[in-house]
Amino acid sequence: MWHLGRSMTRGVGCLGGACGTCTITTRFPDQMIPKTALACQTMVSEGMNITFLSSDPSKKTISPLPTESPSRETLFQYYPETRRCVSCQACSTACPQGIDVMVAVREAIVGDLSAVAERFTSCVMCGLCAAVCETKIRPHRMGLYARRLTGAFYPKEASDLVNRIEEIHSGRFDPEWARVMQPDDETAVKT
Amino acid sequence: MSDIESSKSLVNDARPLRVDQEMARLSQDEKSLLVHRFHPDYKKEAYGTLQVGPNKGQTSVHEVIRLLEGKSQLATKTVSLTPTHEVDVLIVGGGGAGSTAALAAKAAGSKVLMATKLRLGDSNTVMAEGGMQVAVSPEDSPVRHFVDSFKGGQMANDRTLLKTLVEEGPSVAKWLIDNGVLFDREEDGNLSIRSGGGSSLPRLLRCKDYTGLELMRVLKDCVLNEEIEVLEFSPVLELLTDGEGTCTGAVLKNLDTDQLIIVQAKTVILSTGGIGRLHIQGFPTSNHYGATGDALSMAYRAGAELTLQDTFQYHPTGSVYPEAMAGLLVTEAIRSVGAHLLNVKGERFVFELETRDAVASAIIRECQEGRGVETPAGRKGVWLDMPLVDVLHGEGTLRERFPNMHRQFSKYQIDIEKEPVLIYPTLHYQNGGIKIDVDGESTLKNLYVAGEASGGIHGRNRLMGNSLLDIIVYGKRAGKAASKRATTSLSKSLSLKHLESFQAEQKAAGIVPEVLSPMLFPDYVNKD
Repeated sequence: MWHLGRSMTRGVGCLGGACGTCTITTRFPDQMIPKTALACQTMVSEGMNITFLSSDPSKKTISPLPTESPSRETLFQYYPETRRCVSCQACSTACPQGIDVMVAVREAIVGDLSAVAERFTSCVMCGLCAAVCETKIRPHRMGLYARRLTGAFYPKEASDLVNRIEEIHSGRFDPEWARVMQPDDETAVKT
Repeated sequence: MSDIESSKSLVNDARPLRVDQEMARLSQDEKSLLVHRFHPDYKKEAYGTLQVGPNKGQTSVHEVIRLLEGKSQLATKTVSLTPTHEVDVLIVGGGGAGSTAALAAKAAGSKVLMATKLRLGDSNTVMAEGGMQVAVSPEDSPVRHFVDSFKGGQMANDRTLLKTLVEEGPSVAKWLIDNGVLFDREEDGNLSIRSGGGSSLPRLLRCKDYTGLELMRVLKDCVLNEEIEVLEFSPVLELLTDGEGTCTGAVLKNLDTDQLIIVQAKTVILSTGGIGRLHIQGFPTSNHYGATGDALSMAYRAGAELTLQDTFQYHPTGSVYPEAMAGLLVTEAIRSVGAHLLNVKGERFVFELETRDAVASAIIRECQEGRGVETPAGRKGVWLDMPLVDVLHGEGTLRERFPNMHRQFSKYQIDIEKEPVLIYPTLHYQNGGIKIDVDGESTLKNLYVAGEASGGIHGRNRLMGNSLLDIIVYGKRAGKAASKRATTSLSKSLSLKHLESFQAEQKAAGIVPEVLSPMLFPDYVNKD
């Protein structure tokens, strides 16, 4: 767009394929169906027709984390439409990150939250999957919620982390700090 | 065969011979000599002296001086300062630091308004790949984390700020996990850690090579769940003060309508990130589109002091080929798992896990002394041998641990499992910034700063993984402190008196501003 002499304030963000704001469709004259993509990750080529889509909005279902260990019902409480999947594959085809979104939706339906979480690791929240879904599922939002549920209710405790917090709290490192914080650079860096 | 292809063959052919090759670490003296000779921070002609403002007489690069001594976007306008919004805490910037600050201020009971010039979350945070440094392993300690960071920062770090950073690391990591951040884990449930340049022990928490994206996704989700009011596409043009050294709000602009928005706030938190898009000394950048150092100029005019405003981080491994990827980061984590750096002759020239300032200096040295590789577009670079990672750790390691990198290069038919890529230092981070205390408050009362816009924590060179930690630790601290202050502050008058006196000072010094600041967006538009 800049080369064409146009400035931009919307639909431009990290320019590195991570923020998911620059959603577009591209189409060549001989194609029937446009292809979805992120603009910053797309090489322009002769004959390509580009349409900028509006970015995924910062508006969503309010979906707080539960206090009890989650199940698929927790997910359906906020994203009930997930169950309407007709397995059309449109979401998987639309994903610029190559995530098999539809499989993740199926995994959500059977309640395999950690599988959903894993599958959405590389999701940039561009929302193209939701834009193409004929039954109005919002896979990226559902996927993020599954990730958050999985992270917050991780089955095993990070015990080293918990111990470290306790050690800091109990002042275990105070003698070392006293030495390091002396106003002499050499003292500080001696290990 | 072209020069570039024949050089690449040298790298590929010698790979098996390099598997066990040891590379001597630089002594403190060698490192200092290297950095002083080749690091862009020591290039005298790139620097000038500030003529006005709180840091008058001190130096910075010309690009930053032009901004700090620039012309206000409001200079020729008459602005009615009747507030359109009245809040406790105004947060400027919608990345990781701003979102964390907003959550902390909201949790402390304040009425919060966030303003960002792009969409919420579209920031440098999403691009941070490497990880977040937290001393969690039993062999490690916060003191050790401190010492590594202090050495890495050329001992110019503010010790109190740094101590707080490393000490609060474990508790903010816990907070993130409780909010659903999925860090990589070991079989026993402990957090998986890896090494970074300049760190004496592995200490990086990570989520594959998507750590920043993971943090930002969760933080943004939390901000939206909390129903915090967010004004998107609404940059701040100037701060407002009471004319007596207290910040009282800000003037924003709605980018869609060009209308001004006047916010009266008891406290303001600036979290607008860094300066990559100023392309200091002509360097490409790894930063997002909005990284134009907006906080620096507006805070400076309002009277906030800067610190270490003369030092920048040039990340050693920015991509230089293909041209479309120029400046984009190749994560340091790739070197922490063993990738080598090689010159045109296929020879190693530096221990790859020296601190970033040293590695960048060594790459610049190779290129300046004729041992670099030239790309078709005329850029210079050296090789980063990624396939070695699979040789060392088994086939599939790159694909498994660096899926993002793998995909990015494969779009340009470069298979990082088979061939090395060309890299050169890229402008990555503003080491210094607005001076803060341990609560994130600047020298201007009621003005707080969090994240890259602030200065002092990282000294003259930030270690990998300390930035994601910084935005969370100081985002929380600033949010909490600003909220507390707001409960004891009365709403004060809104004025641009500080701007008038700054302009008078500029006039007296004979400065004719060259640019408008804050810059808001880089100008890449082709005008032909």
